[in-house]
Amino acid sequence: MIRLAPLDHKLLRDLRRMWLQIVAVGTVLGCGIALFVMATGTYGSIQRSRDQYYAAERMADLAASVVRAPESVGAQLAALPGVDAVETRVSGIALVDLPGVSEPVSARVVSLPRGREARVNDIVLHTGRLPAPERDNEIVVNEAFAERNGLGPGDTLAAVLYGRRRTLEIVGVASSPEFVFAVAPGEITPEPQRFGVFWMGREGLARAYDLDGAFNDVAIRQARDAKPRELVAAVDRLLARHGGRGAYGRDRMISAQFLEDELRSLQTMASVLPPVFLAVAVFLVNVSLSRLIATERSNIGLLKSFGYSNLAVAAHYAKFSLAFAALGTVLGVAVGQVGGDYMASIYRSVYRLPDLQFDAGPLVYAGAIGVGIAAAVLGSARAVRRAIRLPPAAALAPPAPTRFGGLGERVERAARSLDAKSRMIVRRIVRFPRRSLSTVAGIAAAIALLVTSQHFPVAMNHIVDVNFGAAQRMDVTLAFADVHDASILRDVRRLPGVLAVEPMRSAPVILSAGTRSQRDSLLGIPAGARLNRVLDGEERPVPPRADGLTIARVLARKLDVQVGDRVRVQATDGRRRSLEIPVVAIVDPFVGAPAYLELDTLNRLLQEPERVTAAYLLVDARAREAFSREVKRLPAIAGVTYADNAENTLRRLFNEGSGFFAALFVVFSSMMAAGVAFSAARVTLAEQERDLATLRVLGFRRREASYVLLGEIGALLLAAIPLGIVLGYLLTRWLMSQFATELFSFPHVLSPAAYGQSVAFVAVAVVVAALFVRRGVDRLDMVGVLKSRD
Amino acid sequence: MSLPAAAARGSVRVFHLAGVEKVYGSGEAAVHALRGLDFDVMAGELLVLLGPSGSGKSTLLNILGGLDRPTAGRALFRDLDLGAADDAAITDYRRHHVGFVFQFYNLIASLTAEENVELVTEVADDPMPAAEALGLVGLGQRRGHFPSQLSGGEQQRVAIARAIAKRPTVLLCDEPTGALDVATGVRVLESLVDVNTRLGTTTLLITHNADIARIGDRVVRFADGRIRSIESNARRVAPRELHW
Repeated sequence: MIRLAPLDHKLLRDLRRMWLQIVAVGTVLGCGIALFVMATGTYGSIQRSRDQYYAAERMADLAASVVRAPESVGAQLAALPGVDAVETRVSGIALVDLPGVSEPVSARVVSLPRGREARVNDIVLHTGRLPAPERDNEIVVNEAFAERNGLGPGDTLAAVLYGRRRTLEIVGVASSPEFVFAVAPGEITPEPQRFGVFWMGREGLARAYDLDGAFNDVAIRQARDAKPRELVAAVDRLLARHGGRGAYGRDRMISAQFLEDELRSLQTMASVLPPVFLAVAVFLVNVSLSRLIATERSNIGLLKSFGYSNLAVAAHYAKFSLAFAALGTVLGVAVGQVGGDYMASIYRSVYRLPDLQFDAGPLVYAGAIGVGIAAAVLGSARAVRRAIRLPPAAALAPPAPTRFGGLGERVERAARSLDAKSRMIVRRIVRFPRRSLSTVAGIAAAIALLVTSQHFPVAMNHIVDVNFGAAQRMDVTLAFADVHDASILRDVRRLPGVLAVEPMRSAPVILSAGTRSQRDSLLGIPAGARLNRVLDGEERPVPPRADGLTIARVLARKLDVQVGDRVRVQATDGRRRSLEIPVVAIVDPFVGAPAYLELDTLNRLLQEPERVTAAYLLVDARAREAFSREVKRLPAIAGVTYADNAENTLRRLFNEGSGFFAALFVVFSSMMAAGVAFSAARVTLAEQERDLATLRVLGFRRREASYVLLGEIGALLLAAIPLGIVLGYLLTRWLMSQFATELFSFPHVLSPAAYGQSVAFVAVAVVVAALFVRRGVDRLDMVGVLKSRD
Repeated sequence: MSLPAAAARGSVRVFHLAGVEKVYGSGEAAVHALRGLDFDVMAGELLVLLGPSGSGKSTLLNILGGLDRPTAGRALFRDLDLGAADDAAITDYRRHHVGFVFQFYNLIASLTAEENVELVTEVADDPMPAAEALGLVGLGQRRGHFPSQLSGGEQQRVAIARAIAKRPTVLLCDEPTGALDVATGVRVLESLVDVNTRLGTTTLLITHNADIARIGDRVVRFADGRIRSIESNARRVAPRELHW
């Protein structure tokens, strides 16, 4: 049996006595560590999984599409300096008719090389086999699409490829680094039920698209020593005469970009939130230990008088803080692990990364333990130092009464206008400003975190509400396979149930100003657009203008342009016009709308009149079935999106990912509020025990004595509320700006309900904790307290 | 020199104790702090409770002050049964009738001397002004000082002023000079005697110092939870005549 040293016996007994305090502090510390483990671990897991996947399957660094380039251009591309590998491909959009599914489904069809693995953007076959090169009706489909639609090898489906309807047989299910996040063209959310990726033998697909001996899509892996900007320019030069639409890097590949944005949010989360919790935990450890050491004064004197060294005394009290650290770390790592597993499962369902498992790795766990110990050491340093510094004689003598003189004339004047009990409260708060402030700061931090955490769902719902309520008011979006003559709109109008049609054109361009340039889409929106409106940050419609460009602030910043500056617009498609257009307005659009102007003006400037790439429709709900049936027959259509489906998908996406996180965040913040409140109340009671007992002995009733205890906490709570609101506002604004991506700018919606609920919740937590502790007033041992020295 | 006894002294009974016992714990671990006390305390007298540590005198004082309850027997303050009254009644009793003075002063550090006294006068029925109470213990000039700015003796005298300001029926003092040097102790005892004489406040004073016992009207000697003797002093000795 292990024989414990006497001091360790004392330690264990004291810990048992303080267990509630330890749980309170350990929980707050645990929340911080759990967030740290979860966010950092998830970030690391996804990043690792992505990088391995990209490397193993040779994810493209650059991609470009062309109208038609002869296969020989592929060899020229491969010979460019800085190119490691090139895969020329045939790629297109197909409209799919799934048995039993009335709504149109679309798919990106991509060719696979004959008789070898793809040099770039290879696929991982999960089941079945690759299509036979000579068979032009065999396809491999992506995993998400197969899962959602219950498809597998042996199933058939009908698809319109390049205007020709054909029956395709699924021979395999696969995934690819290129489509980790498979989104239909023009959409912002993955809808695997309605959008798939089909891989087909190169010859068969080339025949279907009339691209025998040619390609319309190229994926390039660059060499380690490549100079990306120069490479892009070289690729563009080579492809220009074949109708090249401009090469772009991973930052414009939608799947890679989504994943990158997600990783950045996780990184923000991991770097911002845990420190707040840890700071509060440090403060709580400090408060708890300071109090303990104050009550242990005579014990410290005794130990020292017996000959215990300063080191032994310091070690004894440091062990207390390690108890907080141990509980916090164990709790944090366990919760972080469970939360991380869950987050990984969510990410697996959204991002198709094979082998994505939550694995925080030894560094994160070591970090968690380190953070826990550091929090405990930081929190206890001052208190332990005080214990060491106490000379034995001084420790054994009763402490002099706390000095309350000289608190300042203004405080005294205010105090004198109050009754004696309130005066006690005011003087204590002012006398111990650091402690009062840290309690206020702790409570305020809890309010701020709650406000922020509640803001996530508010912001997300707001994005969806505004996007689908005020900005995008169409029922259906039709994406055309290519730039199309406006005459197509006549066919669209004839579809059953169509009530209104609004055209749109999206032109791939390179926008440049000075030395800065940006590849983006320039949108042409009709004057008086009603179905697809661009809204600014205040949700006011910003109609397109004929006299110049309206551009998003993010883009304006990238190009470093202001209203009145001229932007060079180089079309990378069609007639490839190069123009200079003035910027006439800069807006903060709600959901990605980089640059736009009036549709006819755009077409005129590009010298391509009457062109459209998409149409927005109002469709009579009663005719939806018939509409769905008929629209599939239009060969020009590459994608059909129902707004209600998109809205539901977006909401689900938000709820599953960020929603889970927000809920967790609310729970953690609430626990923190309760922990701070409990500790503050407990310490106040401990410090006031003698005064409260004196009041009781003097004949004050329980509620009168309780007033002194609750009054102090109440006053600090009242001070913390406005501070918490302001902090919450600032933190939310800052965090929203940190989470903003190219595709979404998170709005800062001032939600009185979120503030009200946060304040109410924290206030209730504080009051409950204070009332819980207040029971101590009922149990005060008047005799014991008063007969002992301070 | 003997001090004149108050006119009312000895004629009205303030406390009546009959078979008062106090047992802490139970079974083998039971500690009998009081083993059947029977005696009365009369209005206006200065009663000294004398005995070694653990003899039960503090336990008795706590019971009489409404801080503790007897395990058996009856302890009456006038008609109030201190063992049976509910918590609110006992709180009221302390509020209106009892003044306490402890060995360790127990002043509220965040209140000045005057405010410590006012704490009591705010809730008492017929208090004396705080300044007057402080004047009675010779601290009229120090009333704006915080406890940290006062000496031990001064702090104890503030505690006495606080105890008497409500004009309590009884003043219960538990080793009030225990933490003080002789000269300061004498000064404190003088204040107590002065209050007893001038205001006629029934005063119970615990000490283990036999010499201090000479300032009382009667001396109750305790040993092992029992009253060993109750003696009346032929004359009350003035504190400044004491030596210990």
